[in-house]
Amino acid sequence: MGPGARWSRHVPVVVSLLAGAAAWEIAAHFTTRAFWAPLSETLESLAESARSGVLTRQAASSFQLYLSGLALAIFAGAPFGLLLARVRWLRVALENYIMMLYATPMVALIPFILSMMGFGFAPKVLVVFLFAVFPILYNTVEGARSIRPELIEVAHAFRSSEWQLWRDVMIPYTLPFAMTGIRQAIARGLVGMVAAEFFLSPSGLGQMIMMGSQNFDTAGLLAAILVIVLLGVGFMDFGRYLEGRFASWRGNDR
Amino acid sequence: MSTGQAILERPAAGLVRGAKTLLASPLLLKTAAGIVLLGAWEAVVRAFAPAYVAKPIGIARVFLEVVSDGPFLAAAGATLWAVVKGLLIAITLGLAVGLAMGRLTVVERGLRYYVNSLFATPMIAILPLVTLWFGYNADARLAVIVFAAFFSIAVNTCDGARSVPLDYLEVARSFRARPLSTLLDIVLPSSLPYLIAGMRLAAGRALVGAVVAEFFISIPGLGYYILFNSRTFKHNEAFVAVIALVIVGVSFEAMLNWITRRYLPWARRD
Repeated sequence: MGPGARWSRHVPVVVSLLAGAAAWEIAAHFTTRAFWAPLSETLESLAESARSGVLTRQAASSFQLYLSGLALAIFAGAPFGLLLARVRWLRVALENYIMMLYATPMVALIPFILSMMGFGFAPKVLVVFLFAVFPILYNTVEGARSIRPELIEVAHAFRSSEWQLWRDVMIPYTLPFAMTGIRQAIARGLVGMVAAEFFLSPSGLGQMIMMGSQNFDTAGLLAAILVIVLLGVGFMDFGRYLEGRFASWRGNDR
Repeated sequence: MSTGQAILERPAAGLVRGAKTLLASPLLLKTAAGIVLLGAWEAVVRAFAPAYVAKPIGIARVFLEVVSDGPFLAAAGATLWAVVKGLLIAITLGLAVGLAMGRLTVVERGLRYYVNSLFATPMIAILPLVTLWFGYNADARLAVIVFAAFFSIAVNTCDGARSVPLDYLEVARSFRARPLSTLLDIVLPSSLPYLIAGMRLAAGRALVGAVVAEFFISIPGLGYYILFNSRTFKHNEAFVAVIALVIVGVSFEAMLNWITRRYLPWARRD
């Protein structure tokens, strides 16, 4: 492929990004400021909040919440999922309930958490945790179900110790599935973060969006949404990268 | 079963041995686990939480009363109808955009960044913007549902339309099939499994979108029912609405599984 061909591949992308930016700018001139703000004003507002330190502070607060909830979900979900992978009776007993909780819209539990735990950091972490933990558990259990009994039998036949069984069969087999769960958890956790910041005590980027909408500061509102979009894209790419790294561990017998 | 035997031969505590014997009848084991979980919930709430907090016996006591209650049924109907309507709109639009993106390179390159980034965005974030546009009413809820569901359908349909086996397209070309019949008879059917996967994702997102919109806008629906009742410390009543949401989510999933088994048995993807 020559340089000309590569250039022509990028033309539509560049054109579409420029067209999007132009449409954003022009759309603002056909509506009132309460509906839409031009791109230039949005970026100005973003730069302004970055200069004054508001953006950094709010983003740091959001990050702290997100990472706490996600870390808890991974450290609770993955080991428990692995335990379920090994202890068959426990898995058979619990898998349907895990599946049910995986399908539950966790956002519906926020009012309960609010009235029981009030405003504070802990209830918000709980929301992020609840959003993130069940994808990890569900996928790890799915992975555990795919381990063929023969593999464990062979390991037993060769007198593997419990530790060897974990190291050579259980963990390599379930890890790719756990990573799929973690990818989903990374995305769901972000939804949980914004929901917690909206409906529990306002803080972080969620509060920036809320304040923008309450003050009819559409540029500020769009700036905060733009930050969330970029975070979402970044996190999703990172999650896909993680999943892809471990995907080759998956047996190709399925 | 030999693995079961191998495990049974090891020394084990009485409880564990009991559970393992139960493995012979998984249904009994699952039921026992359910009773243990509900019992633990009941015990923890009784021991540590205030009286208004939802617990299984309290929920069971109000359940029949709530589900035969007019306002509850109206709320459930409003949410369900909004979700179904939103999903239908999102499927129609998402299918059109996804197929166009999958088959026309120019469209794909032009829209890729927008569709992929909005797919990754938590749609809750645009809720305040949507209320600015539509006002605090049911239209805003519908818009949030459509926004939440559209992108997962478009992204998945696009993937499906791009992974049509080349052989099929070549055969169509050698038989001089018209573009429209190639689209309807080859591209559409072979992207159906992807569409189903997208719908599964979209249904979950739509349900979350509906509940969040109702929290935010305070219009009648299951989300608002939960919010209102939990504020007035009727947690048991509110929890019945959570159960309704779980049932909606699970039955949608079951319906998609049934459709896949019944009409797309060739498309076993896991």
